Amino acid sequence: MDEEYDAIVLGTGLKECIISGMLSVSGKKVLHVDRNKYYGGESASICPLEELFSKFGAPAPDESYGRGRDWNVDLIPKFLMANGSLVKLLIHTGVTRYLEFKSVEGSYVYKGGKIAKVPVDQKEALASDLMGMFEKRRFRNFLIYVQDFQQEDPKTWKDFDPNTQNMTALYEKFGLDKNTQDFTGHALALYRDDDYLNRPALETINRIKLYSDSLAKYGKSPYLYPMYGLGELPQGFARLSAIYGGTYMLDKPIDEIVLGEGGKVVGVRSGNEIAKCKQVYCDPTYVPDRVRKKGKVVRCICLLDHPIPNTKDALSTQIIIPQKQVGRNSDIYVSLVSYTHQVAAKGWFIGMVSTTVETDNPENEIKPGLDLLGAIRQKFVSVSDYYEPTDDGLESQIFISQTYDATSHFESTCMDVLDIFKRGTGEAFDISKIKRDLEDEEQ
Amino acid sequence: MANRSGAAQRPNGTQGKICQFKLVLLGESAVGKSSLVLRFVKGQFHEYQESTIGAAFLTQTVCLDDTTVKFEIWDTAGQERYHSLAPMYYRGAQAAIVVYDITNQDTFGRAKTWVKELQRQASPTIVIALAGNKQDLANKRMVEFEEAQTYADENGLLFMETSAKTALNVNDIFLAIAKKLPKYDQNQGQSGQGQGRRLAEGDQGAKTPGNCCK
Repeated sequence: MDEEYDAIVLGTGLKECIISGMLSVSGKKVLHVDRNKYYGGESASICPLEELFSKFGAPAPDESYGRGRDWNVDLIPKFLMANGSLVKLLIHTGVTRYLEFKSVEGSYVYKGGKIAKVPVDQKEALASDLMGMFEKRRFRNFLIYVQDFQQEDPKTWKDFDPNTQNMTALYEKFGLDKNTQDFTGHALALYRDDDYLNRPALETINRIKLYSDSLAKYGKSPYLYPMYGLGELPQGFARLSAIYGGTYMLDKPIDEIVLGEGGKVVGVRSGNEIAKCKQVYCDPTYVPDRVRKKGKVVRCICLLDHPIPNTKDALSTQIIIPQKQVGRNSDIYVSLVSYTHQVAAKGWFIGMVSTTVETDNPENEIKPGLDLLGAIRQKFVSVSDYYEPTDDGLESQIFISQTYDATSHFESTCMDVLDIFKRGTGEAFDISKIKRDLEDEEQ
Repeated sequence: MANRSGAAQRPNGTQGKICQFKLVLLGESAVGKSSLVLRFVKGQFHEYQESTIGAAFLTQTVCLDDTTVKFEIWDTAGQERYHSLAPMYYRGAQAAIVVYDITNQDTFGRAKTWVKELQRQASPTIVIALAGNKQDLANKRMVEFEEAQTYADENGLLFMETSAKTALNVNDIFLAIAKKLPKYDQNQGQSGQGQGRRLAEGDQGAKTPGNCCK
């Protein structure tokens, strides 16, 4: 450990592993350390099942749960958008070759106590029972507009300026009612609250396009999920970093981040060893005095022995409960994965309900989501704070990621990573730096 | 992205079935893991091979009668150095070569630890081969052939002494593994991997995931 590095990365959560991979690929000498014995930090998938039970202080699972080793349970539920930033990053870095994915089968939205399939194309819009007949036609026209919309071609904007006019104005242009706005903004554009209504419409149009482009990729739903759980993602990027020379040490406590002149980082100390470095990249848990609390997320892991009712027995599903449907300010997300993803023993399903905490009784806040799941065999509730760095790290050269938020996908994760990389290196990540000969070796 | 399934054009022009297997390399640093792979895949040997950088995923095929066995070979990328090999590494591996250096008794001890680790972590049906590498340095031998052979027999491992430098037994050990691997037919289920799909640039439209054999 007593060596000099360009950068030391602390924590092997997904964000830190992507950053580590990017830095190594860019030719930096990287030391990547985790205080835990395992990869992934908060983004690990827990295996075996016994460990999950003991983590939450529950008595050991009985034999009906099958082999404990067959379970890989995520602590933070998320899906990948098939055409989203994380998939692009996986493909361009070659990390995709270490992973296998499955398409998520169903995408549903909650309305008036029931769930309905999220309509994404004109045909589905016309068949959907989310809207009345006239509203369906208006929604169809809206979808066609978004589909044909090209940011570079003002002719496709049809007398609407998406850069200055807000989303409310665009909804009004098509005469969409509040209900339709609700599922469009929350189930297609995947906003967690309604702030977007007052922002320029371009952002929302692009998000809806991401949803439909993602859907076009592999069908059924726009979401993907990795076999063996989300914990495979950080491991894949860690491998990328290692392949490009990154050094890995697990189970290594970090006792001090050593500062030099002007409060600039000069190294990291573990026991008597000090590794020198020019920069540190880490998650908030390694620097409690450099982050502030931003809010809380409640997440409930539910073990089920059946699929979610009314989803046509889908083996994987996402259900979005838009805030207004249940009188809240932020959406509730329900996700389901199953034994077919190698994350549970045969016949078992893992449901997850999560949202941003708004009251003193977070468990009660997720009740509308839990009620959709049917009988729950075992549930584990956790409420966790999420943090953001107090400064941009330019002075100290300590670059800190934000805690994983309540969003149901990885877009905000990637934004944070790209932003940190840019702050740390002074330039945007250049994908072309990845050796093309990696590709050749496959032939 | 290489095609993961499909009929291969064989040298004699007829079409046989292709089976693809994930093979992982294990062993102490500097026993010659990367050198063995480079000899097998590219026919090359470098006396001063650098620690593994930038080349940790290679493929090579071996032909057996009517079957083409395609190895997807994973190198440790140095993650073994501080015992920080990710579980992903073992995941779905159908074969493993555990390498030691015949001139270094410690590496043989480490190899035994890796075998135990595989028996604990990897699939129960994994085919494990033990390779006593650097056979060209037999005059500095510290691990006796018989000792390793006995250990391999007791644990149901394939065993050969190899030399990446002279190419001794390099192709043979991969061939021996290929012979021992079960060649499933695609219709009869999978060979350990998860039945998911790989993502690739330009993916479009729903395709059925291709995996091992056809």
